[in-house]
Amino acid sequence: MVSRRSLETATAILTGAFGAAVVVSSLDNGIGWSAAGVDAGTFPFIVGLIIFGGSVFNLVKGWPGNDYAVLNPSELKRLAILFVPAAAYVGLIPLIGIYLASAIYVFGALSWHKRGAWFFAGIAAVATALALYLIFELTFQISLPRGLLGEALGF
Amino acid sequence: MENLEALLHGFTIALSGNHIFLMVIGVLLGILVGVLPGLGAPNGVSLLLPLTFGMQPVSAIILLSSMYWGALFGGSVTSILFNIPGEPSSVATTFDGYPMARDGRPTTALATAFGSAAFGALCGVVLITVSASWVAKVALAFGPAEYFAVYFLAFASFVGMGGSPPVKTLVSLAIGFALAAVGIDTVSGSVRLTMGIDELVKGVNFVVAVMGLFGIGELLVAVEDEFHVKAISSRVDWREVFRTLIGLPRYGWVLLRSAAIGCWMGITPGGPTAASFMSYGIAKRFSRRRAHFGKGEPEGIIAPETADHAAGTSALLPMLSLGIPGSATAAVMMGGLMIWGLNPGPMLFIEQKDFVWGLIASMYLGNVVAVILVLLTVPVFAALMRVPFFIIAPMIVIICAVGAYSVSNSYLDVVMMMGFGVLGYLFKKLHYPLAPLVLAIVIGDKAEDAFRQSMLMSKGSLGIFFSNALVTTLVLLGVALLVLPPIWQMIGKMMARSPAQR
Repeated sequence: MVSRRSLETATAILTGAFGAAVVVSSLDNGIGWSAAGVDAGTFPFIVGLIIFGGSVFNLVKGWPGNDYAVLNPSELKRLAILFVPAAAYVGLIPLIGIYLASAIYVFGALSWHKRGAWFFAGIAAVATALALYLIFELTFQISLPRGLLGEALGF
Repeated sequence: MENLEALLHGFTIALSGNHIFLMVIGVLLGILVGVLPGLGAPNGVSLLLPLTFGMQPVSAIILLSSMYWGALFGGSVTSILFNIPGEPSSVATTFDGYPMARDGRPTTALATAFGSAAFGALCGVVLITVSASWVAKVALAFGPAEYFAVYFLAFASFVGMGGSPPVKTLVSLAIGFALAAVGIDTVSGSVRLTMGIDELVKGVNFVVAVMGLFGIGELLVAVEDEFHVKAISSRVDWREVFRTLIGLPRYGWVLLRSAAIGCWMGITPGGPTAASFMSYGIAKRFSRRRAHFGKGEPEGIIAPETADHAAGTSALLPMLSLGIPGSATAAVMMGGLMIWGLNPGPMLFIEQKDFVWGLIASMYLGNVVAVILVLLTVPVFAALMRVPFFIIAPMIVIICAVGAYSVSNSYLDVVMMMGFGVLGYLFKKLHYPLAPLVLAIVIGDKAEDAFRQSMLMSKGSLGIFFSNALVTTLVLLGVALLVLPPIWQMIGKMMARSPAQR
C-alpha cells in the first residue's frame, strides 16, 4: 500500500534533487553580470532555486493529513505488470534492436494476458515488427536501431 | 475588410484536393488518438511531426491542426459512450454526457456535444480571423522587454488561473525552463546543465518529453483502474441528430458564455482542460436547472464542450501572432513551425501570408470535416474501445519509444522518454499540471533570450520592465494574476470563518 504522503514526499525529493543539481551545475557557467551581459548560468540558477524552493514547500505541505492510501496492492500490481515489461523492452533495444525487441514485447504481453493464445500472439508480434519496418524504414526512411545483434548479423 | 480578403485568399489555398485529403487523414488520426487511452492530441501531433519534415509548411500545419480538431472530438466520444475521457479536456463532458447516453439517448448526447463543440470552435476561429493580424501589428512594435513581459504574463496566468496548486504549477514550469536550458546556450555558446553526459549537448527535445509525460504517464494512470467497458449502443440516429442541432439555439446564452470562457482561457494559456471545468462549474452555479446537473442535463454537456473547443482553437491565436502557444498541443505545433524554418510571431503575418491565412481558412473547413467524420465514424471507433487494454498498452509503449527515437536517432531519448513517463505518472497522480512544463521547454530559450537582451539594453537595470506604459501594464497584469487568486482565496476563507465565530 502506498500513501499519498509517501508519493508526495518521493516526488518532492525527486524535483528538489533536480533543482539542486541545476543550481550546482549552473554555477560552472557563471552567474551574475559580466562584460557580455547576463552570464549563461544566471537564468538556470534562478530557475533551479525556484524548483528547489518549491519542492521544499511541496514536501512540507504534502505531509500533514495525507496518510490515506492512493495505491492499493492490486493497483500496484497492475502498474508493475505494465511498467516492468515496458522498461525491459527499452532496456533490450540497444542489445537486440527495436524490431526484435518489439516483437518479443508484443508476444510476451499477449501470451501472458491471454494464456494459450500462442498463435495469435505470434501473428501480432510479426505484424508489429513488419509494420514498423514498412512505415518507418521504407515509407519515411527513418532508420530504427538494430542493436548489437543486428550489427553482428550485418542487418 | 483587409482580413476578409486575406481569408478568401486563404480558402483558395485550403480548398485544394490535396489539402482536403490531408484534413480527412488528420481528423481520422486525431479521432483515433483521441479515442485511445494513453494517446492524446499532444502525443499524436508530436508523433506525426517527424513525418512532416518533407512537406510544405502550410500542408504540414493543416495536417497537424486537423489532427488536433479530430482529437478534441474523439475525446468526447469515449466520454459520452463509455464514461472514459479520451482526453483530459473531456473529463467534464462525462458528468452529464454519460448519464444522458446511459438513459437511452446516446445520439442526443453526441449531437449536443458535437453541435456545441462546433459552435465553440467557430467562435475561436472567428476571433482569430478578426483579431490575429491586429495583435500581430501591435506586437511588431514590441522590443525584448515587451516580449519578456508577455511571456511573464503567460506564465503568471498559468500559475494564477490554471486551477492546479500554484506552487506545483511553479515547480512544473521551472523544470520546463531548466530542461530548455540544457545544451548549448544560444547567446554565449557555452554548454549548460549537461551533468557530465556529452550527448545532452543537443538539448532535451520537447517531443521526447511529450511522449513520456503524456503517453507513458497517461498509460500508467489508465492501467490502475480495472478496465470495464460497458457498451452503450453506438448507432447514430440521423433524424435525432438534426432535431438536436436545431434545438441547440435554445441554449444560446449558455453557448455564448461558454465560448467566451473558452476563448479567454485559450488566449491566456489556461488551456482547454481548465476552460471546460470552469465553464461547467459556472453553468452549474447559474443554471435554473441546477438540480438536474450530473443526471444528463443538456446544459452540462454544452458548457464544457463549447469551452473546450473554443479554448483549443483560440490557443492558436497567441501562437501565431505572438509566438506563445496557449496549450500543450499548440506548443508542440509551434515547435514544428520552428523546425520547418518558420518564426512564430508577428513577422509570420508579413512574411508568410499564405501560411497564416491558409491555416486560418483550414480551421473553418477542418472543423466542418471533423463534425461530419466523427458522426460517421462513431460506431467504428466505439468498436475500437472494445479491444482489450492489454493489447493496446504495448502498442502505445512501442509507438512512444519509436516516436522518441525518431526525433534525433538517439537511444538516450528513448531512456529519457521512459523517465518522463514516470515523472508524468507522479505528476498526474499528485495534481501537478503537465502543460506548463511542455510550454516552458518549447519557449524557455526565447523567454530567456528576451530577458537577457533587455538586460543588455538597460545595462543590467530591471527598470526597463517599467520604462513605458505598455510594458509596465503587462508586467503589473502578470503580477496581479500571480498574487490575486491566493489573496481572494484568503479573503474568501476569512469571510466564511467570521460569521461562524460570531
